[in-house]
Amino acid sequence: MHDVWQVGLPTCVPAPRVPAVTVPDDRISALLVRLASHGVDAAGTVALCEVAAESAGVSGASIMLLSDELARGSLCTTDGVAAYLDDLQFTLGQGPALEAHARGCPVLEPDLDARTTVRWPVLVPLAVRAGVRAVFAFPLRIGAVRLGAVTLFRDTPGPLGDLQYADAVAVAVVASRTILALQADAPPGSVAAELEQGANFHFVVHQAAGMVSIQLGIGVTEALVRLRAHAFVGERSIDDVSRDVVARRLRLDGGGPAGPGDGSTGAPDG
Amino acid sequence: MTREALLVQTLVELADNLVDDFDVIDVLTVLSDRCVEVLDVDSAGVMLAAPGGELQVVASSSAAMRGLELFELQADEGPCVDCFVSGQPIVNLELAAVDDRWPRFARRAVADGFHSVHALPMHLRGVTVGALNLFRIASGPLHAEDVLVAQALADVATIAIIQHQASVSASVLNGQLSEALNSRIIIEQAKGKVSEASGLDMDRSFQRIRHHARNHNLRLTELARGIAEGTTSIIGLDPLPHGERTRAITPDPSIGRESPST
Repeated sequence: MHDVWQVGLPTCVPAPRVPAVTVPDDRISALLVRLASHGVDAAGTVALCEVAAESAGVSGASIMLLSDELARGSLCTTDGVAAYLDDLQFTLGQGPALEAHARGCPVLEPDLDARTTVRWPVLVPLAVRAGVRAVFAFPLRIGAVRLGAVTLFRDTPGPLGDLQYADAVAVAVVASRTILALQADAPPGSVAAELEQGANFHFVVHQAAGMVSIQLGIGVTEALVRLRAHAFVGERSIDDVSRDVVARRLRLDGGGPAGPGDGSTGAPDG
Repeated sequence: MTREALLVQTLVELADNLVDDFDVIDVLTVLSDRCVEVLDVDSAGVMLAAPGGELQVVASSSAAMRGLELFELQADEGPCVDCFVSGQPIVNLELAAVDDRWPRFARRAVADGFHSVHALPMHLRGVTVGALNLFRIASGPLHAEDVLVAQALADVATIAIIQHQASVSASVLNGQLSEALNSRIIIEQAKGKVSEASGLDMDRSFQRIRHHARNHNLRLTELARGIAEGTTSIIGLDPLPHGERTRAITPDPSIGRESPST
């Protein structure tokens, strides 16, 4: 049945190059064969990113989960640059995945140039410095249901070919269904173990946000903003900064490493 | 209106229901009403399998038809039941000739004035989800073209239902996934606050939150939310008893574990 794989993007303005893509069955089959050969069951969702990068002929890929327009974390990343790109998007709250998710449409920047690209003004110079020259993001959506986005990047500029574009759309469809199928088997109230495997949901950042909120006497949401700012100014990843906070090597209230808790982890409860 | 125009209009109506505001009963009521208008039949009705697998009357073109369909289910015999069980169409059965196949149903249908019955399966990819019943007052076979048209209408309605179910279940699953992630985030935030305020490490902070939740019969996520939002006092949390750490604690596999990067 073709209907299941039909990915119409009628609300996308400006219209993408291919307004409504019908992914041919043989492309889907080829993808599934590739996924099977990567062992999608054993490796959780890691194979999804590898297959995404391979099929679209790009340097790397990541799959980000988003909800309420907020980045929750990456399910998988193919390499350090893909992880860095996702970290930037998570830290800065801007980038192709967030935009593709919010608009429900593909977002294509085939020539990322710090001097001419007007989108994501904070992210682009950092991404270019890391060697990213083109980014493409495709929403993970099933009808009106939106899960996140696939981000593809290349170290050379240039658009995706038509087949690569179709494959990227197909990967997004397969990924969306895989994610929900895996989650369907999870115990109530928890995230499927297969989805957590190889994922980075930045839990350490939320622990650090809790600590900073006490240090500064502010809410956890604002504490997260402070952590983001600290990471950005120091040109560090928010995970690294948060690990320092949790290990009590860093405080955001300007105090020294020893805090009211006296720093000794695992101290007897008083 | 010509038959072709009516058919096109019906298909458009059914397709319209593929988008928002979908109501399965609306779609199937349209289907049964149009069958009576477009085909040489006098009554039409749709039965769908409930989640438990048992058939239910969902739509009927008339109250009399509904009564007869309900009777069919109660008696557990009749064209719709057989069609659903076998997944095969049942066409052109003369009630006079099926006395031994469905004795109770045939008697009741004839009493209601029907003389020939037809049932078409509603299935997609090998799964039969229901059946479309078409009853006629006159005896004699249904035109072959009518059978094709009826099956096409049943197929469109089936696709509408299945698409709708897939979309609902995707939405439910996605909601569960983001809720599970949100709970995790709130628990991590609460651990961080307790850790900073009490000097415990993350594991011990989590144990203290869980210990308090158990003592006071609170849901862990709700307690964590109170701590994270600042409505629950951290000082007021029950302290961990000494030796708690050496006791065998089976960590909940889904929550409270440190992220791999910690």
